Amino acid sequence: MSMPATEAAAAASTTTTAGRPEIVLKSSEFRKGRAEGWLELERLVTRVERQGIRRLSLDELQRLPILYRAALSSLSVARTIVLDRNLLLYLETLSTRAFLAVYGPRANPITGLRAFFAQELPAAVRSARWHILITAITMLLGVVVGFMLTVQDETWFNSFVPSGLSGGRGPSSTRADLLNREIFAPWPGLVESFGIFAGVLFNHNTLIGIMMFGLGMGIGIPTIMLTLYQGLPLGAFIALHHNRDLTIDFLGWLSIHGVTELGGIILFGAGGLVIAEKMLFPGRYSRLENLAMHGRLAGQMAVGAVIMLFAAAFLEGGFRQLIHSTPLRFAIGFGVGALWIAYFSLAGKGQRR
Amino acid sequence: MTLAHDRTSDFLEGARRERRQIVTPEGVSLSVELADYGERLVAFALDLFVWLVLMIVLVVAIVSAIGVSGGSLIAISIALFIAFMIRNLYFVTFELAWRGATPGKRLVGLRVIDRAGGPLQPSAVVARNLTREIETFVPLSVLLTAGKTASGGVDWSNLGIAAWMLLFAALPFINRDRMRGGDILAGTLVISLPKRVLLGDLVERKAKFLFTHAQLRAYGAFELQVLEELLRRPVTPDAMRLLTEVCDKICKRIEWTTPVAPADIMPFLREFYTAERAFLEHEQLFGKGRADKHAKPGAEAAR
Repeated sequence: MSMPATEAAAAASTTTTAGRPEIVLKSSEFRKGRAEGWLELERLVTRVERQGIRRLSLDELQRLPILYRAALSSLSVARTIVLDRNLLLYLETLSTRAFLAVYGPRANPITGLRAFFAQELPAAVRSARWHILITAITMLLGVVVGFMLTVQDETWFNSFVPSGLSGGRGPSSTRADLLNREIFAPWPGLVESFGIFAGVLFNHNTLIGIMMFGLGMGIGIPTIMLTLYQGLPLGAFIALHHNRDLTIDFLGWLSIHGVTELGGIILFGAGGLVIAEKMLFPGRYSRLENLAMHGRLAGQMAVGAVIMLFAAAFLEGGFRQLIHSTPLRFAIGFGVGALWIAYFSLAGKGQRR
Repeated sequence: MTLAHDRTSDFLEGARRERRQIVTPEGVSLSVELADYGERLVAFALDLFVWLVLMIVLVVAIVSAIGVSGGSLIAISIALFIAFMIRNLYFVTFELAWRGATPGKRLVGLRVIDRAGGPLQPSAVVARNLTREIETFVPLSVLLTAGKTASGGVDWSNLGIAAWMLLFAALPFINRDRMRGGDILAGTLVISLPKRVLLGDLVERKAKFLFTHAQLRAYGAFELQVLEELLRRPVTPDAMRLLTEVCDKICKRIEWTTPVAPADIMPFLREFYTAERAFLEHEQLFGKGRADKHAKPGAEAAR
């Protein structure tokens, strides 16, 4: 077998010539030439991990990707020519750490937030319009069923509305009760309305919304059921007021915050349905791949829903009892609703992502 | 190569890490170690602790700002709201700012990465942490407040929620990649990223002992790497005893007849390691690499 001179030297230890041959290993030479760069990269990466990428100087920022690519190429070569276990493991870990430092998430929260609100959120909502429609129809169905049953027999009210939600209202309430204690009740004051009422409502609604969203992973059936279930007490309430000839006033009382609140709940439910759809009909991808591709859309919708619920709690706790006029309540409620729709359907539409 | 690493750690430590391959945008595949359940639990507990301390500080601040006369109810409700916001923002903010790590994860040495090897998107971080609320906090808070609404009869909703909690808690245990619901949704993976140091090269340049090709053919890459790990261990009487044993076995296998003096054991093994590595690396370059002493030369290349 004829070998070039260096190859012969690499295997020199096996020659049985007299004297002590100097052993030259390819892998040792390989390491000698590059170790400097690896150690420099390790120092940079450690600093990025500890203090963030912003603390690097301009020169270091320019060095980082160069050293990273050099380390990757070292790793590729080392896998074929090196049998030093420590070196291989070191390069593997170093490359991964450098990879995460170079391809980390956008660290600037301001840019991220602006992109989220100006483009990502409205785009995600637009892409789920059918899911939103289905959720809205389901909820409407719940309202209709709740209304039809309660309007005939008010004992249904107690089974549809949990005692925590009824607030003392029920089949025994009189028209005057509802009018004075609920619809046109006096404003309870800043502390009471903002501090307690809005906070509790927000927590409660968000919990329900998140449940609807998360239950989407149970292929959507629990989401649909929960949506329907959210409509039932609403229908029951409307029937209760309908029987006391208070329908319009009640709807005004409800719409000032309800348009936004139900919008948020529907958005949560639609997010759950997006998850369910991607699980059920993965198309040409695997279910996991498909979920990973679209789960983020659903996550963005959930964030939008939380914001809507927050606004709703603000309207409900703060403004509802301050405004004692049904037309004005309608105007505010649907005006805000129109703003939401305009935002979701128009914002960032012209831009390519 | 990954297989060889794992085999060595399996042999020496009796444990191996689950590994996954990710492909960087440059087209190089990196093998990453999946995080253990224990590591993730500890990281989560640490994060909860940090969150709790933050909350206590804030609640004390709020109560002292409002004063006890302002009514404790309002303080509680504000505290609840802030707790909710901090809990959700805590994980998102840290995972964005610290490139996929929270304080707990950083202490334990864990990172969140994109499963496909791309950059970790902010939307992925948001998605994986929003579901945390459903997976852990909702069931936890329900379980904690369950005692309050205890009335006669079976509480079906509590039972349902307990089942719900079990289902989600079990999710990381029933998939290969140990993903919880949020990871599945966001396309992320939690990996363990230990810090490794580059140790010195074990190669001994001055050859005192000479080995023939026939002698070096006795072993493969696996044995070489086990020998490397043994040589890298700190020299204690125990380690010395083990090395003596290894030395005897090697001598027997390669038919090395000259006895090796006790003082020479270390130099002998290091030189044997050098010669063996030079030989095996050279063979590997020519497509005749051997995975271990039982493998045929070149069998590794076909794998």
